[in-house]
Amino acid sequence: MAVLDIKDVTKIFGGTVAVERFNLTVADGELVCLLGPSGSGKSTLLRMIGGFETATSGVIAIDGEDVTRVPPERRPTGMVFQSHALWTHMNVFKNLAFGLKLRRLPPAEIKDRVEAVLEQVGLAGYGQRQTHQLSGGQQQRVALARSLVLEPKILLLDEPFASLDQHLRERLREEVRDLQQRLKITTLFVTHGQDEALALADRIVVLRAGRSEQIDPPDVVYRAPATPFVAGFIGTMNLIDGVVEGGVFRHPGLDLAMPVADGPATLAVRPEALGIAAATSAAAVIHRVTDYGTHAIVDIDLADGLRLKAMAPDARAWAAGTAVALSPQAFAVYRDNVAIHRAGA
Amino acid sequence: MIIWPILSAIGRTLWLPGADGVSRFSLETYVFFFSDQYSINNLMVTLWTTGVCALLLLPICLPIALYLRFAKGRLAAYVQGLAIFPMFVPSIILSYAIIRVLGPNGTVDLLFNSVGLPKIRSPYLTPWGPVIGLVWDNIPLTVLILLSGLGAVSDQSVEAARDVGARRWAVLWHIILPRITNSILVAISFTVLGIFSAFTLPYVLGPAAPEMMGPFMQRTFRDLNDPTNAITQAVISFAFCIVFGLFYVRSVAKNRKT
Repeated sequence: MAVLDIKDVTKIFGGTVAVERFNLTVADGELVCLLGPSGSGKSTLLRMIGGFETATSGVIAIDGEDVTRVPPERRPTGMVFQSHALWTHMNVFKNLAFGLKLRRLPPAEIKDRVEAVLEQVGLAGYGQRQTHQLSGGQQQRVALARSLVLEPKILLLDEPFASLDQHLRERLREEVRDLQQRLKITTLFVTHGQDEALALADRIVVLRAGRSEQIDPPDVVYRAPATPFVAGFIGTMNLIDGVVEGGVFRHPGLDLAMPVADGPATLAVRPEALGIAAATSAAAVIHRVTDYGTHAIVDIDLADGLRLKAMAPDARAWAAGTAVALSPQAFAVYRDNVAIHRAGA
Repeated sequence: MIIWPILSAIGRTLWLPGADGVSRFSLETYVFFFSDQYSINNLMVTLWTTGVCALLLLPICLPIALYLRFAKGRLAAYVQGLAIFPMFVPSIILSYAIIRVLGPNGTVDLLFNSVGLPKIRSPYLTPWGPVIGLVWDNIPLTVLILLSGLGAVSDQSVEAARDVGARRWAVLWHIILPRITNSILVAISFTVLGIFSAFTLPYVLGPAAPEMMGPFMQRTFRDLNDPTNAITQAVISFAFCIVFGLFYVRSVAKNRKT
């Protein structure tokens, strides 16, 4: 359990900036998700914290101690890799015991600690199994146990469930969350799955091209995205470019009054916040209705070809070709990559 | 094409024609080989050369293969080119290059002389001559085999070891070497097979006596015009090689199973 401080960290590979002037403080026992598309620098950042990459500049400190240049074998961190990275020539017990043996602990203590951590991850009695005899989920649990058995101050998880199927992924992430809360271990979790980040994290760091776009709790990131990129990346979002003239946002097929100065703007509306009503004007026409049972998603084409998504309670109420009027219930307005107005959130 | 010459060779050394022209079973040629001190010495020098080469190749090639596996950048590409280069040099060229460099009045002697140092004890025409040549000649194959084995060791498994506290030697000993045991066995089997039956390098660089089995067979066959004893020497060489061949087959079979 520890506090992690990342100050002005930059990583440059050759001429490519992978992470740029990144700052973050992770509180003791907090679980922070690093979320972003491929190439956003989230794994590089995690690898710098783990010691597998060295920061070009900046400071990484754990409990106030600068570890920026400390090699991974001397850092108080434990990493779980995407590919499990289990040592296939060792059985489960030996995989877990390896780090403890390097620390020259007595065999009896090693046995006790390995058995205890196997119990914690739900693999009691699996010690003598070979790693290839385990399922993907069990292998990932062993990888997690291998890190936990050393009682690291910071637990780092690099897309640990990416290779697992959806059902197993959901189950494992709940288990990880329970375990993390029980052990109160400071954790960083890299993912490119927004649902995973929303379900797990105390805070989410949204990364784009090596820079953090937003660092906030999941509900804030979802309901009040700081930039159009975050708005578009988290959940489904309708992003509509238009112009504000005389306090009215104008886009073909959509006029919306708002207290915003004149100029170009981007309107962001979630499908569940986009109200639709039958209309006579053909400025917005339903293209397709997809029935999900509990709700329907209605695809709407605007006059300029932009396609929006709206959520409706009943698919049977709508049909393709119907003209509709749009009424955003909650929305945000962005200008120059900054939110300048929010309504109804 | 392979089995028949082997069976034929064994048959021709075990069924010898008598004075009456009728063939009969006899271990005479084998008894001669193992009772002849010169033949035994030749076999011993062959085994010694093979063993020393295998012992030298592993500590030379393993660091090169490890470097090539884990290093990134242009220097690694140059090192790889240098390591593979001997593969494209014919043995006869290599032999004369070694004579020119390490032989009496060779490059090394000239350089030493120019700075007032005494001449070296040249390995040319000693058992160490073929050892130097054969080691150099076998570096590419050994490096390539070890490199293919190291391909199965993922970066992440090494990183995971470092993450739990393993330093370089611990990673090598506990993580990398156990994963490439089969490749090491295959590399040793291949080099031993090649070195045991080597001809050119021992013939040009080695001593006249004792000589390695390759030149010994050739001389027995051509200079002494004694094909039966030459074939006996070949069968005995084959018997030693097949042990390492079986090592190789076992390693391949084990690999397939896992």
